Amino acid sequence: MSLTARQWLEHIRALDLPEKVRIMNVCGGHERAITTAGLRGVLPANIELIPGPGCPVCVCPEEDIYQAMQLALHEDIILVAFGDMLRVPVNLPKRAIRSLEQARATGADIRPIASPMEAMRIAHDNPERPVVFFAAGFETTTAPVAAMLAEGVPDNLSVLLSGRLTWPAVAMLLASEDAGFQALIAPGHVSAVMGPEEWEFVVRDYHIPTAVAGFTPQSLLAALYSTLRQACEGRRFLDNCYPEVVHAGGNRTAQRCLAETLDVVDANWRGVGVIPASGFALKPHLAAHNTRELFPSYEDPARKHRGEMPAGCGCSRVVLGKIYPNECKLYGLACTPRSPVGPCMVSDEGACRIWWAGGVRERKTSEVA
Amino acid sequence: MCLAIPMKIIAIDGFNARCEAKGVERDVSLFIMQHEAVEIGDFVMVHVGYAIQKMTPQEARSTWELFDQMLGGVDTP
Ligand code: SF4
Repeated sequence: MSLTARQWLEHIRALDLPEKVRIMNVCGGHERAITTAGLRGVLPANIELIPGPGCPVCVCPEEDIYQAMQLALHEDIILVAFGDMLRVPVNLPKRAIRSLEQARATGADIRPIASPMEAMRIAHDNPERPVVFFAAGFETTTAPVAAMLAEGVPDNLSVLLSGRLTWPAVAMLLASEDAGFQALIAPGHVSAVMGPEEWEFVVRDYHIPTAVAGFTPQSLLAALYSTLRQACEGRRFLDNCYPEVVHAGGNRTAQRCLAETLDVVDANWRGVGVIPASGFALKPHLAAHNTRELFPSYEDPARKHRGEMPAGCGCSRVVLGKIYPNECKLYGLACTPRSPVGPCMVSDEGACRIWWAGGVRERKTSEVA
Repeated sequence: MCLAIPMKIIAIDGFNARCEAKGVERDVSLFIMQHEAVEIGDFVMVHVGYAIQKMTPQEARSTWELFDQMLGGVDTP
């Protein structure tokens, strides 16, 4: 691990690589680090790095965003949400209020937060008003939400939870027999919380070289080298290239908080569908803090385009690694960070946003299935 | 939202810690660090205001360098 990025790169170049290797990452932080460091430009051309399901905002059901927005518009509540969620448009006609940000501009009390602790503080400071915490996120975000619930929250705070587990999406891709990748870079901070062992099934059941990576070019290149060398030598094991933060078994307290407060349930992923045992829901003893139990549903099953991706948006295929962001026909044309069409262009973890911020301007016609 | 930052603990009060990174101070929860001994001067990886794991000062520093690069624009290894 003490090798420099350049040395890892030399090791990779020295390998007798197969004609084409596609390596998937499933973490927006990884994709951002890869893009920012320009790793694609310096790796041998037969190595393809594919962003996969690594953006919790992108897979958050459109219905949940709609629900949060209607609550903020129709109930006398304070809605708090991670900042990324505020700009994701829902599927309503252009003239309608289409995002939390727009709802806020019309007077709804919606506040962006960066931590569950801020949700607690806002609830403390406004004891006479219900506070709804719209919480989307993967395990690294959901564990702090669980910790907040375990520690005890004010009576007036409830959670509209859209938490998701990362590995079931990868399991679903692999079970599809059209996974489209031959190696996997496993997410560093998810592994730090849940334990790297969660990813052993990829090696055991699918014989796919896998390495947990951190977020420096060194750690990412070490993980890429590890999986490529495994592929070259026909060996398979789960490597940990982020040992400074990822320890065997993960964070036990975080896992205890999750187990005490949340159940693992089947969950809908936007653009993907229901993935078994891939989401979190508040346990029955926390019903008094479960927004879905406390407030009437504003869900309208007949609403046009409910739950869908916006027309023309390729996010569902971007999220599954089927196309690169710049293969979407709206990339950089109708869809830019200034006026995003889909969630992948809104979120800091979205591959479209990351590629645009990384300077990718040319569009590409599809070569990926 | 998914960006985790290494921070140094400068004060502890129960499960609450005051942490610092590159001159910026923030309140951080130590609630999910209960399985470990955490002290003033330790470095922790902080995600959405919660410390999720301890780390060494060297590791913290190399991660901060990466953030400088990411904020400063494109860089080649
Ligand atoms: S470029 Fe925009 S419309 Fe196309 S997939 Fe990305 S977010 Fe969706």
